[in-house]
Amino acid sequence: MSAQKQLLIIDDDPDFVDGIKSILVKANYKVDAAYNPKDGWAALENKKYDLLLLDVMMGRGAEGIMIARKLGKDARLRNLPVLIITSIREQMAFLFPGEAVHPHFVTVDELVEKPVEPKMLLDKVATLIKTAEAKAGHLAEAKK
Amino acid sequence: MQETRILIIDDEEVVLDSCKMVLGPAGYKLTTASNGTAGLGLVRELQPDLIFVDLKMPGISGFEFLERLRAMDPNQVAIVITGYATVNSAVEAMKKGAYDFLPKPFTPDELRLITKRGLEKHRLLQEAIVLRREKEMLRENFAAIVSHELKSPLSALQQNLFGLTAELEDKLGDEQKARLERMKGRLDDLLKLIHTWLRVFSVDVNKIKEQFQPVAVASVITRAIENVLPHTTRKNIELTSDVREPLPPVMGDAVSLIEVLGNILNNAVKYSHPQTKIQLTAAAEVGAVVITVRDNGIGIAKEDLPRVFGDFYRGKGAPQMESGCGMGLAISRRIVEAHGGSIAVESEPGKGSQFTVRLPAKT
Repeated sequence: MSAQKQLLIIDDDPDFVDGIKSILVKANYKVDAAYNPKDGWAALENKKYDLLLLDVMMGRGAEGIMIARKLGKDARLRNLPVLIITSIREQMAFLFPGEAVHPHFVTVDELVEKPVEPKMLLDKVATLIKTAEAKAGHLAEAKK
Repeated sequence: MQETRILIIDDEEVVLDSCKMVLGPAGYKLTTASNGTAGLGLVRELQPDLIFVDLKMPGISGFEFLERLRAMDPNQVAIVITGYATVNSAVEAMKKGAYDFLPKPFTPDELRLITKRGLEKHRLLQEAIVLRREKEMLRENFAAIVSHELKSPLSALQQNLFGLTAELEDKLGDEQKARLERMKGRLDDLLKLIHTWLRVFSVDVNKIKEQFQPVAVASVITRAIENVLPHTTRKNIELTSDVREPLPPVMGDAVSLIEVLGNILNNAVKYSHPQTKIQLTAAAEVGAVVITVRDNGIGIAKEDLPRVFGDFYRGKGAPQMESGCGMGLAISRRIVEAHGGSIAVESEPGKGSQFTVRLPAKT
């Protein structure tokens, strides 16, 4: 389990990606980035990731949500943990900042608001990966 | 241009005919009905620009027609046709939503004139509807547009400052780190300002009522104080809190209430001199929880007191240059009122101010 975790960021703002990537790389994650939904989806299909960081507002609207929905329908990718990163405050309104919000597009997901504090980002990423692994282990156990 | 549709409802053939003779050549598309029920059906089908309706008809009366019309589409313009003997009932009809009345017998000119006026009224109503819809759209979309267009670049900036801080942790000196922190602070203020504006323009404060829950006031106070602590520390202000338990819970939205107290405390800090005191007390009164925040700051001039809770009010002469959008107390008032409570201020220039928030206790 000590192998480097492989993460994918899908976000159409390269500057934002740089800001978030440097934090993750410093914390010893391997990070790929895709700058549009199409490339992002292709990357997901071609490579195995431990977690996806997904921007909501891309292109002509909430295209990130479309990816999240598509993931939910995919038998393999459904179990990939997703951290949805949104700049839409309204979705977070009236919730305590820092508290987990589960959009439930896939088995394990959570929502955070841009910009993300480094500590919170790393906490969420680690927790989501751990949760997803625990669930997968549980499933494998049940199948035996 | 679309043709103008006029519907005439009257059981008297002669009235229908004379209307046709006068209005037909003027280029209007006329449709007639001989009773109210048929008339209502045609309203639905044709969406006329103007309706003439006789008050006295067999079947449903003109009054009933007006009532049903209003229930169906309150934006329809109807003019009642009535005999001289029933002018009183014409007035009654106008109370029921008719735009005007036309007494029988009428001259062609009278009919033309009232038609023109009725159509003008219809046009204005339609324009008002379009404007209202546009305003709604703008209001609804404003949040999304502003969020994305303004926040995206700021978020990217902030995220990179976060990233750089982590990357350069062991390379930067204390002074440089402090500067990075200040940059982050300024950006954070700007992002918060955008949030505030978004709330004002796009969030209907009354919507928070839908998720009211029992809230412990003490925890609201604790959170609000936590939020303001960095500022009190910076100005070396002593903030004391005296929560006189037991306090009854209030029905409300905790986050919004934290925002209210946060705004009041922030203002208290903003308009206080360094090394002074701010006292917060919370106590139960009959059927209510009363929270007061008292500062020894610069106070508010008497003539300004009525405007403090209005939009865009900003206090004058803060001890240091202070930022703010002048919306904090206005939003706070709206939130407190949505809770069925009240917010008040007393102040003496040079001595300080006291804000009092009164929230009804949960029954």
